[in-house]
Amino acid sequence: MDLSQPVEENYANPKTCFFHVLFKASALAFYILSTLFANSFVIIFVITVVLAALDFWVVKNVSGRILVGLRWWNEINEQGESIWRFECLDQESLARINQKDSMLFWWTLYLNAVAWGIFGIFSMVRLEVDYLLVVAVCFSLAIANIIGFTKCRKDARNKIQAFASRTIASRFSSTLQSAFSLV
Amino acid sequence: MSNSHSDTVPLHPSSQSDIDEIENLINASVQSGPATVLPARPPSPPRASIPVSSTPFIQSQIPPPPPQSSSSNQKVPTVAAAPPPPPPYVGNSSSIAATGFGPAPNTLTEPVWDTVKRDLSRIVSNLKLVVFPNPYREDPGKALRDWDLWGPFFFIVFLGLTLSWSASVKKSEVFAVAFALLAAGAVILTLNVLLLGGHIIFFQSLSLLGYCLFPLDIGALICMLKDNVIVKIVVVSVTLAWSSWAAYPFMSSAVNPRRKALALYPVFLMYVSVGFLIIAIN
Repeated sequence: MDLSQPVEENYANPKTCFFHVLFKASALAFYILSTLFANSFVIIFVITVVLAALDFWVVKNVSGRILVGLRWWNEINEQGESIWRFECLDQESLARINQKDSMLFWWTLYLNAVAWGIFGIFSMVRLEVDYLLVVAVCFSLAIANIIGFTKCRKDARNKIQAFASRTIASRFSSTLQSAFSLV
Repeated sequence: MSNSHSDTVPLHPSSQSDIDEIENLINASVQSGPATVLPARPPSPPRASIPVSSTPFIQSQIPPPPPQSSSSNQKVPTVAAAPPPPPPYVGNSSSIAATGFGPAPNTLTEPVWDTVKRDLSRIVSNLKLVVFPNPYREDPGKALRDWDLWGPFFFIVFLGLTLSWSASVKKSEVFAVAFALLAAGAVILTLNVLLLGGHIIFFQSLSLLGYCLFPLDIGALICMLKDNVIVKIVVVSVTLAWSSWAAYPFMSSAVNPRRKALALYPVFLMYVSVGFLIIAIN
């Protein structure tokens, strides 16, 4: 993962990037090579789904935070309504995020979903309902993360805009106040 | 537009502009007071696990935000939720001014091990809340406010594995059937309640139905170890009753009292069919 090119930036968090990719890749690899490893469908199912779930957790809780500074979750408030919460780093830190990390994050997220989608199509064509179940679970986990982080990123952008416009407004009004107080 | 912000020295709590911002924010939050009332229960650190979810945003009820109130909405509850509650203005100023977007340092930069521990402890606490007889349950209808889907995931997989192990033939089918039955069953039961005009949150209900599988897991484990039919029937009936008892308060409080039976009957039916599956496996 370390490219050691002095002109470009390297990955800022190589370990996190590695883990981000590891579970996705191993879930896909295990699924593809499953017949080499185990005869029983149960083992394939459990291991693939467990790897996919671990990947979901890692992306949502670890690599999302560290690589792109975003986090999303759901809360239920006192009235019993569900609220989706989005959290992001402050603007400074967001600007400091390594571009390579961020590209790796988003690209692998999308590619993972596309890969599972393709496998889903294959198993539908071959009418293997068992494997379709596995693929459906993995695909839905991938999509969930994509949707969550995309919404989080949009929310972060909105917040930055709102904050910036409010800062400008407050600065303007405080300037006016100090101007009037001098008069 | 953001250039004016980043041209200055990196934000520091003592800079005058920050204090202006703080005053404006505090004024804004005071004015919009009722809208930003903090949750009455002790605010836990923002939680962070939504493991298995197929379409998480269909049911989302994000109140359509006018930009002003939404950002102040998000700021004030989340700032106050930062553990431990910061001293009035000094702490607030550093977290509002420096981050501006909520208690970022607390959960966004916590070590991974903390997240793991937090999630594990949430699973355990949810389990205790839902399944075990607890005379101090605040309001069973509001159980599982911090829902998570890891517990149900483990329990469903465990049940499938146990059933599959007990089966002497067709292990794969047994597992696949058990998993699909439980997963699809939970989804359909939740839809059932929603269509009956009940008020539940989709994932909360999925989570609850998954946690109520815990007694059946224990029953399946015992039945795997002891193969006597009578023992199996007894164990399964006991655990079945336990599961239904655990699921009852939540489901019944979610619907109109006249439709309680319509909501509860399918739940009971699903657990009975799982019970039969456990007994019939040999």
